[in-house]
Amino acid sequence: MTVRPLWVGLAAALALAVLPLVANPYLLFVGNQLSIFVILAVGLNLLVGYCGQLAFAHAALFGIGAYGTALLKVHLGVPFAVSLPCGALLATAVGLAISLPALRLSGLYLSLATLAFAQFTLWVFLHWEPVTFGAGGFRVPAPSWPIPGVTAGIGTFYLALALAVLLTLAAASLVRSRLGRAMIAVRDGEVAAQALGVDLLRTKAMAFGLSAFYAGVAGGLQALMLGYVAPESFDLFHMALMKAMIVVGGLGSIAGSVVGAGAVLFLLEGLRAFKGAQEIAFGALLMGAVILAPRGLAGLLDRLPGWQERYLRAAPAERAPAAAVPREAPP
Amino acid sequence: MTPRLAVEGIGLAFGGVAALRGVGMAVAPGEIRGIIGPNGAGKTTLLNVICGIIPPGEGRVLLDGQDITGLSPSRIAARGVRRTFQTTALFRGLTVLENVATGLHTETRAGLLDGVLGSRRLREEEREAAERARQALDFVGMAACADRPAHALSFGQQRLVEIARALVAEPRVVLMDEPAVGLSLNRLADIDRLLRRIRDERGVTLLLIEHVIRLVMEVSDSITVLGSGAVIAEGPPAAVREDPAVVAAYLGTAVHA
Repeated sequence: MTVRPLWVGLAAALALAVLPLVANPYLLFVGNQLSIFVILAVGLNLLVGYCGQLAFAHAALFGIGAYGTALLKVHLGVPFAVSLPCGALLATAVGLAISLPALRLSGLYLSLATLAFAQFTLWVFLHWEPVTFGAGGFRVPAPSWPIPGVTAGIGTFYLALALAVLLTLAAASLVRSRLGRAMIAVRDGEVAAQALGVDLLRTKAMAFGLSAFYAGVAGGLQALMLGYVAPESFDLFHMALMKAMIVVGGLGSIAGSVVGAGAVLFLLEGLRAFKGAQEIAFGALLMGAVILAPRGLAGLLDRLPGWQERYLRAAPAERAPAAAVPREAPP
Repeated sequence: MTPRLAVEGIGLAFGGVAALRGVGMAVAPGEIRGIIGPNGAGKTTLLNVICGIIPPGEGRVLLDGQDITGLSPSRIAARGVRRTFQTTALFRGLTVLENVATGLHTETRAGLLDGVLGSRRLREEEREAAERARQALDFVGMAACADRPAHALSFGQQRLVEIARALVAEPRVVLMDEPAVGLSLNRLADIDRLLRRIRDERGVTLLLIEHVIRLVMEVSDSITVLGSGAVIAEGPPAAVREDPAVVAAYLGTAVHA
């Protein structure tokens, strides 16, 4: 029997969908945060895991989505139905803008440039007080849903869940297309990719833009869920959390992104009582993953039949008998 | 007749070192052109200039009479110039079939929306890409390995897959950088036969860098000899073999097979 990640994922989403019927407010919050983490992790994995661009701007773009969504509401009274897409598009635009200089850089230089950008963004959140309200952050009014009986929290929960499912399916579909193969080709060999007609700048810009869009959507949802936005939610620690999700889950795996988001959230909430221990635990988790499971949890899941990700929409041919595989003569 | 591929007066210097000096040659459609020369003669650099990875300092590259100098490598690939690499360069994260399908990137059009929505256009293109990739694998005799991860193949098998990947989009010209390196002697005949089939059955013009002199002398219609970045001889294999300048270039350097 084959176990397909699609069915497991949809079953998990269904389980999450009935959570509000039985759960207390805390569990509801954790479930909501899970959806947001999944969107963040899938978006980051497209850029880092599939396209191989080791960028450090994801937490900042997450913040731009949150600030964009919330400030449009607070300053201009724009309803969330408009401000959330605007926040996401703002993050996308900024992501594309930083990709322009970033495309000329690679490896460590790309990491440093995007890290500098992230710190700059944080500085703006902290010091542009007339607009961002500075270090203390600001309250965001609760959204109202046009459906009777739906509270602000429940509405946000289902919106986040629906977006997490849709964006995960979209990413899983994209990686199984010529553009997904192009991203992997850029990651695995830039020169060979170019020699096959893959445009490096275009492919990388697409990965940056998409990843920023996912971060922006997640940011807007975070602002809705917490009803509060403050700079410290988008700092380097949160960047490390997001990196941990995709490293623990598995670089270059959509299923891994989802599982990794869950694992990090589980650890984060489990250690909520021991603030100081969180960072130590994450260090240990990251090191453990790198040493023991270099392909992350996805590497373990790939052993299940039918689980392994494919990047071409065609059923694999009937498995050829081993004898039919031509073998090299021993040297 | 317009040559399929022509380079005219190609010059290139890295710092003060002249890598290529006034290199010119014209390759007819359907020709197998061997390029030989001692290490450091500029053979691989010339291939990199032709496919746009290194822009030349001076000179022109013409494909069927059209100037392609200075185009990006992806544009040049889209015009039908493909290559294989000296050290194999398959994408590790993809299967053999997916690797070959990547060679169809310029032949397919599905965009971002098609990709995220799984549109009908995408599904049709994907099916066709899989079909064409299987045919290309079949052509090089690697169809049985289609669904294996690329990194699980032996070196020689990876070479063949790379050739399939270069051929899948029906290119006009394929540049091959040492296809026989690392192969055992009894497989040389296979490579010889494959190169002829690529020309005869697919109508591809081949530029072949090769150190295995026996292979290159057998298979090439004509041979260009590079020495220190310049053309020192050109002509049919038999003539080149006797050329005093060639003999000097080879004997004047270290021992060469």
